[in-house]
Amino acid sequence: MSSNTASSSAATAGSGDSSAARKNSKRPKYSKFTQQELPACKPILTPGWVISTFLIVSVIFIPLGVISLFASQDVVEIVDRYDNDCIPAPARTNKVAYIQGGGDKACNRTLRVTKRMKQPIYVYYQLENFYQNHRRYVKSRSDSQLRSPKYENQISACKPEDDVGGQPIVPCGLVAWSLFNDTYTLSRNNTRLAVNKKGIAWKSDKEHKFGNRVFPKNFQKGNLTGGASLDPDIPLSEQEDLIVWMRTAALPTFRKLYGKIETDLEMGDTIHVTLQNNYNTYSFSGKKKLVLSTTSWLGGKNDFLGIAYLTVGGICFFLALAFTIMYLVKPRRLGDPSYLSWNRNPGGR
Amino acid sequence: MKRFVYINDDEASNELCCDNRISNRKYTLWNFLPKNLWEQFSRFMNQYFLLIACLQLWSLITPVNPASTWGPLIFIFAVSASKEAWDDYHRYLSDKKANEKEVWIVKQGIKKHIQAQDIQVGNIVWLRENDEVPCDLVLLGTSDPQGVCYVETAALDGETDLKTRIIPSACVGIDLELLHKMKGVIECPIPDKDIRRFDANMRLFPPFIDNDVCSLTIKNTLLQSCYLRNTEWACGVSVYTGNQTKLGMSRGIAEPKLTAMDAMIDKLTGAIFVFQIVVVMVLGIAGNVWKDTEARKQWYVQYPEEAPWYELLVIPLRFELLCSIMIPISIKVSLDLVKGLYAKFIEWDVEMIDQETGTASYAANTAISEDLGQVEYILTDKTGTLTDNKMIFRRCCIGGIFYGNENGDALKDAQLLNAITSGSTDVIRFLTVMAICNTVIPVQSKAGDIVYKAQSQDEDALVIAAAKLHMVFVGKNANLLDIRFNGLTIRYEVLEILEFTSDRKRMSVVVKDCQSGKIILLSKGADESILPYACAGQQTRTIAEAVDHYAQLGLRTLCLAWRELEEDEYQEWSVKFKEASSVLVDREWRIAEVCQRLEHDLYILGVTAIEDRLQDGVPETIETLRKAGINFWMLTGDKQNTAIQIALSCNFISPEPKGQLLLIDGKTEDDVSRSLERVLLTMRITASEPKDVAFVIDGWALEIALKHHRKDFVDLAILSRTAICCRVTPSQKAQLVEILKSCDYRTLAIGDGGNDVRMIQQADIGVGISGREGLQAARAADYSIGRFRFLKRLILVHGRYSYNRTAFLSQYSFYKSLLICFIQIFFSFISGVSGTSLFNSVSLMAYNVFYTSIPVLVSVIDKDLSEASVMQHPQILFYCQAGRRLLYL
Repeated sequence: MSSNTASSSAATAGSGDSSAARKNSKRPKYSKFTQQELPACKPILTPGWVISTFLIVSVIFIPLGVISLFASQDVVEIVDRYDNDCIPAPARTNKVAYIQGGGDKACNRTLRVTKRMKQPIYVYYQLENFYQNHRRYVKSRSDSQLRSPKYENQISACKPEDDVGGQPIVPCGLVAWSLFNDTYTLSRNNTRLAVNKKGIAWKSDKEHKFGNRVFPKNFQKGNLTGGASLDPDIPLSEQEDLIVWMRTAALPTFRKLYGKIETDLEMGDTIHVTLQNNYNTYSFSGKKKLVLSTTSWLGGKNDFLGIAYLTVGGICFFLALAFTIMYLVKPRRLGDPSYLSWNRNPGGR
Repeated sequence: MKRFVYINDDEASNELCCDNRISNRKYTLWNFLPKNLWEQFSRFMNQYFLLIACLQLWSLITPVNPASTWGPLIFIFAVSASKEAWDDYHRYLSDKKANEKEVWIVKQGIKKHIQAQDIQVGNIVWLRENDEVPCDLVLLGTSDPQGVCYVETAALDGETDLKTRIIPSACVGIDLELLHKMKGVIECPIPDKDIRRFDANMRLFPPFIDNDVCSLTIKNTLLQSCYLRNTEWACGVSVYTGNQTKLGMSRGIAEPKLTAMDAMIDKLTGAIFVFQIVVVMVLGIAGNVWKDTEARKQWYVQYPEEAPWYELLVIPLRFELLCSIMIPISIKVSLDLVKGLYAKFIEWDVEMIDQETGTASYAANTAISEDLGQVEYILTDKTGTLTDNKMIFRRCCIGGIFYGNENGDALKDAQLLNAITSGSTDVIRFLTVMAICNTVIPVQSKAGDIVYKAQSQDEDALVIAAAKLHMVFVGKNANLLDIRFNGLTIRYEVLEILEFTSDRKRMSVVVKDCQSGKIILLSKGADESILPYACAGQQTRTIAEAVDHYAQLGLRTLCLAWRELEEDEYQEWSVKFKEASSVLVDREWRIAEVCQRLEHDLYILGVTAIEDRLQDGVPETIETLRKAGINFWMLTGDKQNTAIQIALSCNFISPEPKGQLLLIDGKTEDDVSRSLERVLLTMRITASEPKDVAFVIDGWALEIALKHHRKDFVDLAILSRTAICCRVTPSQKAQLVEILKSCDYRTLAIGDGGNDVRMIQQADIGVGISGREGLQAARAADYSIGRFRFLKRLILVHGRYSYNRTAFLSQYSFYKSLLICFIQIFFSFISGVSGTSLFNSVSLMAYNVFYTSIPVLVSVIDKDLSEASVMQHPQILFYCQAGRRLLYL
């Protein structure tokens, strides 16, 4: 890289000639800024620089990609789609009617652990084709009401789930109203696996966005019942399922944390899940999945980062190689004015 | 359309006339807000942003907090408004200073001290030496017994010489005390802005009985903003006051110039707007369809079954608001800011300071710097622009004998000096014409030297040369001129001055030799306006040859002539002349006609040749700029031969065989038509050859060509990279600029004199040389520079950098707005096409203002190439000219 600091030789013009300066007080003062001569550096892309830059990028990126991929591979993930199977075969012609009907909707699922899973193991539910980012849905909440009992009546944004018979609903709005209400009970070898439901929400949400003196009121008391109900004696800051749900997902396919298993699962273990299939995703053919997953230092199972690193690193390596060959086969002198367009075809523009 | 001004009459004060309050303000304190807002909202962009901001107040459709649009909008409006307010406040302050200046006026016969703003039309105003004239006055009396006073008109027309003003003949000899009691009426035209004309009449009331209606000209006036010099006191009656003065009327608001870049940005904005509408319509339809098919099934959204009538519009409007950030709201403010800085860089540049006079360059128009980088045609004046306008008398030809041919300096030619000592009649008459046929004022300096104050550099050169040849113009006392020749003082009385106009192209004086009482007419002028009037029997061939010979050397020539008049011939003519001088309508034309009657049968004395040197660095500048793909046209009022010589010496055209000059001439329509066709044909044939072809046309042929063969001439203009137009008038210069502009070329006009003003105002960029011919051109221009050679730096360095920076900045502004908008559009596909914003209001605003708008302003000091390499390869300017930095087409 050739560092090209602007010369300051033109400074002579500014000094001297005091007789003229006396006559004209508007005469500009000399400074590097006014003369546009601030030191600057303009990289010139010589073959050496270009090739080595690409090479360095590829040398850094390829190992990074490999490491990321390995980290992602280490994560053990069990995914079980249950929305279809948890409806008894006779009711499958009209799933919506089944889910909206009464009665026990218990369902048993069996999961196999294919690889040893170290604790903590996270239990998620995954919804697909569910638009938590729909404008009507996202806006239908009142953050001030959630924060403090003082603002209980700030429900204008919550329509149509804002009040019941003139009494404000706490928490109001479509987001809270549609709270997910499937429940899972896990057991291994007939012993119950404890799922810890504490500490699944963001700390900042619990401490700042959901007040510890705000209690649910009139919730799910309207004509339509959306999702789960809340215990009116527990403050919102302790209702972690609600807090997790109300942090709306940006994409229509999303996972939300249900709880944590704090024991290791061995390879070959069979896990029985007893779930209550309450939540209606059938009217819009959304999928429901139960996910058990460990984490690595890089997060959950996601190969994207590793693949991206490998791709960019690979392209850079290829380019470095190509430029090196071009440079060796057909070298060109740098800064040769005969290559300038007006020198190549004189007269032409 | 006349106005009557009653001198010193408080009762008859005219309703139509305003007081002398000068107001250059655009706003008052009360109308500032509404008027400024109205002005800002007349721009389409602003109307659009206001509409968006208003829509955002409707919470059903707004994707973000309205503050994210209102904030920047109010900020931008506040910035523009405060800039206007600041400018207006300064105008107010300078007005106030002028308005509250104390002046002496006469009221009810008593001298009073009042503020300048209280002067009424008809008041008599008293001025002392070095006072500024507060309003337009008609002179009534001065301290000089002859009724003469001197004014400096620099603030009015930029000319730094002193001009004489005389009191009207009716007021001659009125006592100082009586001036207070003077009554009368002045019949003058309604206010106009012509500072060279004042065609009025005056009649005094008893006791100052004077039956004649006394005619008034501009010579009898003191115009606002002039200074009284070399005169103890003067007094006059105010005729125009306040904003109705000649200065006030000519102070128009110049039409704002739009750069090619601005036009392109406007077009881009329009295109993006269309794109936005398409996106909005597509997404709006998709959104409504999705809503009616999918969203009805999404029970958690609870779409109501019943919808208000405007339901269909809600989603499209939401997308309109989401996509409104596609058009960058900050682009205008950012561009204004950086453009201001470009102008400052031009003014600060120490390499563009004229070392001789210490004048820096000045950018009067801060908005068009990037146009400098896109110039395709430069139209230049010759005298004072390419040349130094420092006239030096070099050679002469008197009675067929050439002087100064051997050593190139007639002042040192022994032959001429001998002729003077021996007292050759022709030579002495020649010198007399040189010394007194002019409007020069000799001023005795304190050291005893004589300094000449001349309006034209030619006259100055002639008087100085005459003085060196022992014919010294010593003093001027009203109408009496004193000439010292060989220790002998000769006194002449000036009877009339037949002034120079660009139509007549000659000037004459009628003088009376005070010793012999002979009346003589002395004339000087261009050869074609003098030689046709030679007396019968005189051979003008040698004179014409001398003129050609000098012109080929690149010298300016003037023919001098002489005629003795009979007493009665003069008297008879004098009456007619007085008559013509007092006409109110077409006075100039009538005077020219009367002058013609006297200027005939002239005895041609000889020819003077004056050298006008090229400025430093002119050939190099033209060569470099030509390499950069800029075409040059030279427009001059000078003779064809002189123009061609200068053109050759400054690389304007190449000599044979590399270059070829094609002449278009002819006096009749057919001649010009044939000549034009021939040149056009040659031009087309040689277009493919690497040859410098230029055409030369004179004013007469140009007039015909523009009138009858405009299309052919336009074709020629497109083909020709170089042209020389000689003997053209100021309006023809402007017409030529107009023709090039109509072919979509970016033109730059550069000139230094009053005759270039129209061309400078007409061109896309006007550059004035702050030279010797006054500051008129520099005042009218967008940029004023001290020397022609600075043009290279102005275009290649400042113009090019400005263009590149503006191109980068506007591209970047569009890019960053489109980028964030595309994210929103893609997100809408996975959010049920419902118009959810991915970003919250604060992030959006921060992105627009803090992350992307402010940091990028640093690009204003970016340089892509060093100044040295641009100067070395001026061809790099092609990219700017083609506008390829903004649009890679």
